[in-house]
Amino acid sequence: MRVEVLFPEIANLYGELGNIRYLEKSVPGVKIKETYVNEKPAFLDAGCGDGEGFDLVYMGTMSESSQLLVMDKLAPYRDELISSIEGDQRILVTGNALEIFGKFISDDTGEKQQCMGIFGFHTERKMMKRFNSLYLGKYGDIDVVGYKSQFTHSFYDDENLKPLFMTERGPGFNPEVKEEGIRYKNFMATYVIGPLFILNPPLMTEILREAGTDVKPAFEEAAMDAYRSRVAEYSNPKTGFYY
Amino acid sequence: MGKLRFAIALTAAKLSVIALKITKRNGTNFPGVVAIKICPDFLKYINRPEKIIAVTGTNGKTTVSNLLRDVLAQAGKRVLNNGLGSNIASGIAACLISGVNIFNREKYRAAVLEVDERSALRIFPYVKPDMMVVTNLSRDSIMRNAHPEYIRKILEDNIPPETRLVLNADDLLSAGIAPGNDRVYFGIEKMEGDKTESCNLINDMQICPRCHTRLKYEYVRYSSIGRAYCPECGFRSPEYDCAAYNVDLDSMIMDVKAGDESEHFDIMNEGIFNIYNQVTVITVMHELGYSLSEIRNFMSKAGIVKSRYNVTKCGDKTVTMLLSKDKNAYAGSRVFEYIASQPGDKEVILMMNCLGDVKHWSENTCWLYDCDFEFLNGHGIRHIIVTGPREKDYKLRLLMAGISEDIISACETETDAPGLLKLFENDNVYILYGTDSIALAGRVKAGVLAAMGEEGTK
Repeated sequence: MRVEVLFPEIANLYGELGNIRYLEKSVPGVKIKETYVNEKPAFLDAGCGDGEGFDLVYMGTMSESSQLLVMDKLAPYRDELISSIEGDQRILVTGNALEIFGKFISDDTGEKQQCMGIFGFHTERKMMKRFNSLYLGKYGDIDVVGYKSQFTHSFYDDENLKPLFMTERGPGFNPEVKEEGIRYKNFMATYVIGPLFILNPPLMTEILREAGTDVKPAFEEAAMDAYRSRVAEYSNPKTGFYY
Repeated sequence: MGKLRFAIALTAAKLSVIALKITKRNGTNFPGVVAIKICPDFLKYINRPEKIIAVTGTNGKTTVSNLLRDVLAQAGKRVLNNGLGSNIASGIAACLISGVNIFNREKYRAAVLEVDERSALRIFPYVKPDMMVVTNLSRDSIMRNAHPEYIRKILEDNIPPETRLVLNADDLLSAGIAPGNDRVYFGIEKMEGDKTESCNLINDMQICPRCHTRLKYEYVRYSSIGRAYCPECGFRSPEYDCAAYNVDLDSMIMDVKAGDESEHFDIMNEGIFNIYNQVTVITVMHELGYSLSEIRNFMSKAGIVKSRYNVTKCGDKTVTMLLSKDKNAYAGSRVFEYIASQPGDKEVILMMNCLGDVKHWSENTCWLYDCDFEFLNGHGIRHIIVTGPREKDYKLRLLMAGISEDIISACETETDAPGLLKLFENDNVYILYGTDSIALAGRVKAGVLAAMGEEGTK
């Protein structure tokens, strides 16, 4: 299995690279390629390069200035990125990294930052308001747990856009909807952090199975013990969800 | 109307001070809360000392603020200080209330104010410091502080342009703050044990702010604290105006230079972060016009800062209480690194659970994967007990750090942890607790001492 991690030197907030460390421990022999912000993402050339593609491309949460930098660096490759997504490249982005792929980010000062415009949604940001919550949702039949800690909410503008998760408790893509994140072909995006794979071994197993790799989650007993406890805790109506 | 409202607020706040004294209640913040409730722009009207030094930053601001107050006292300067209160707007208001009489006439000529970095936007529009220290900026609570750039932006948007800054040249996250302001830089020259690559999970200064090339470090101590340069465009960390050098941790002495002066200093406390705190205070004092020789003299009389580590000896064993700020991966890593650096066999009880969160919801545990639990792998650590509401998350994190399941024990209730101790010969037990669990940690410690006592009688 080959995994490319985009911009780990800046897209690494909130322990999110833990997703990759857990994947490394769960998938024997996995090859991880780290691509830095001054480099072209390798998966865009994988088809015409060494012939080996990437089974998963990952990008995690970052600061607001890093979002601008990443968009600036990816802008020359926008068409290649779209082709890659249309060509079923498996990509997972977590936290505010997803906002880069939308139409724009507006903030409470009225400023509007154009984004890559690959998907039909937009983001509204309030820098003096931190939205903190727990999350409980479903990926198919799989329970998904995690956290949200962000300055933003996103809004679907394209009614054909499909979510990654359906929310059971906590906010969806924004507090008004149950849909959470984006699933388009093999492109997956979600605000849910945790790290997502560590908090959700069944979800990681399923996503890797879809990528053609059957895995047994590392430290399965301990990981599943923590997962089951968290699902039970978050399913308990007495557990508050908003900070 | 504003001044009338202020007068009422000041009177009410002063009366609340008397009420607190009569009822023998704590509430150092309360007068400030009352004042701001009655008069939201109370800080605009209250008189304040003519010279104000603010101390902010993620780590070390309390230590720096208190040490600066004590050293200034040795210099014969009695300063207003919020060391006993809080560092948010109401705490600053309470402090300033204590510095004026009922007629709003100020009693102090100078103030040293510790300021919460996120509260800057509520404080600095009114209270404009002549000098402001930023000790450093690092990751803190994800939920409150998000990330260091966010805090830097809050400070930059609110630091008055006339304020002179005292900045840590070894922390690029804060060193470049408010570039239009006058500034002076402090730091520590290359030390024994420095590395050239960070080995910590948190490293928020990996790329050049100008050309985005990966930075290199002449030396780095932890995370991004050190001296960096860009191999591509020539960007580098600022030069020191006041620096420690020849730092000798065995003899606990160092030299400090500022301008043409240099002087020997006793190191007041172990830990690199504490040396930074000391150098920060030396720099501020030098900026205030004192010579290094005078500062050394004042500092020696200010007394050694007691270790923040509370160690109790019991027979051949020790119990060490370590406060590890909840949900703060950066602080946790420093504590783990400290334990790893200590000699002997060790057992560790991890109980930094956010008990406050448990009452309302459930702790956000993202920080576990920013925190270097890897320091607990080896280094004489023979047993780790995870306990409290997040025991299962701790256990998984320890396994991820490569720690053998054989040396991990778990229990749901913290006070059961002492019963799980192995109590090796010459054992050193470390209890790591958060700010939410200070009293509970005391009970756990009592249990550990009782277990050690029983062990001694066997």
